Amino acid sequence: MKRFDCLKALAAEAGDALVVSSAGATTLEWNALRPSDGNFRVRTLGLCSSIALGMALGLPRRKVIALDGDGSLLMNLCSLPTIARMNPKNLIHVVFDNQVYEASGSGETATARGADLVGIALAAGIKGACWANSVESFAQAISQALKRQELAFIGAKVDVTRTLVAPYPMDEVENKYRFVRHIEATEKIEILKTSLPASYG
Amino acid sequence: MTVEEAANTILGGLREAGINLVASLPDINLAQLLGAIERDQDVLHVPLCREEEGIGICAGAYLVGKKCAVVMQNGGFFNSNNAIVSTLLQYQIPLLLLIYYAGDIGDRTFSTTGSMTEPVLSALGIRSYILRQLDQVKEVIKRAQILAEDSKRPVALLLTKEVLGRRAAAGVLRTRNDAADDERQ
Repeated sequence: MKRFDCLKALAAEAGDALVVSSAGATTLEWNALRPSDGNFRVRTLGLCSSIALGMALGLPRRKVIALDGDGSLLMNLCSLPTIARMNPKNLIHVVFDNQVYEASGSGETATARGADLVGIALAAGIKGACWANSVESFAQAISQALKRQELAFIGAKVDVTRTLVAPYPMDEVENKYRFVRHIEATEKIEILKTSLPASYG
Repeated sequence: MTVEEAANTILGGLREAGINLVASLPDINLAQLLGAIERDQDVLHVPLCREEEGIGICAGAYLVGKKCAVVMQNGGFFNSNNAIVSTLLQYQIPLLLLIYYAGDIGDRTFSTTGSMTEPVLSALGIRSYILRQLDQVKEVIKRAQILAEDSKRPVALLLTKEVLGRRAAAGVLRTRNDAADDERQ
């Protein structure tokens, strides 16, 4: 199964969901398929699911999708019991498990030697965590998760294959501003307040 | 002053600063404060397993409009450093860090952790203020949040035993019995 095909299926369903993607090629492939100011690229390995959790808690009526990787999630496994504890009904945690540190020389991760991320998610208390074993079952799991008001965790074993796409078109600070402006516009809230100059006081 | 009064004052400062999400990991000296935060209906409390995830949670919540703080020990601040650098500083995201100052002057434990706390904050370019007087706490918290938002960076407030209403460290005047009392607290 190719990650890019799973992402295509996701792009067809995602609508205006906010998407947080882990450091690595997943971000570039997703941005090529669904360019949007509602995409946020994570640069700290491990933090994808935590940043997505924060967004989900902050905007409980908006769907938030985390596009995590096995190396990333393994670095921050304690995120799973925290997500289970907070139980945000609008969070969909997707993990593409290619069993290697793809962006760092493709050395094996622990999932290549038996660590089961869905099993770990279930044991952490995320009910309904499941593997999607084909692009069709992935698309179905995503479609259900988007319709339900329920925390979801979907694992997908994928090949070590990158699809050649354009580089990410902006730096981190621009990503932040565009994302926040997108939230302000779509949620009709003010986040970045600017003060009047002192002479207006 | 009791620990409960201290906890309520600090929580009051957070509320007046507009903070509505607090991620935390316990230290015995933070127990009453975290209990007060947990009971507050207007502040969403996110108990963590490790402090670094709290930096991510608060960054994500900030991006959608929440005002956040992390309450942790200085050991937890060290645990958070990669996230602070490659998320908060890299993206220019403000965050209030309330750090219990273990190994503060007069403490009998964690002096190594204490000795590295201010130098590491300084090396990261994080402005920090040590809170020792409870009557200044609310004002300093409000100003720190303004500074964080204006500078778009984290700002650290170091919480000492004095300000948490715990028995203040008293250095050479303390006896072994004092230290034993602290252990039982």
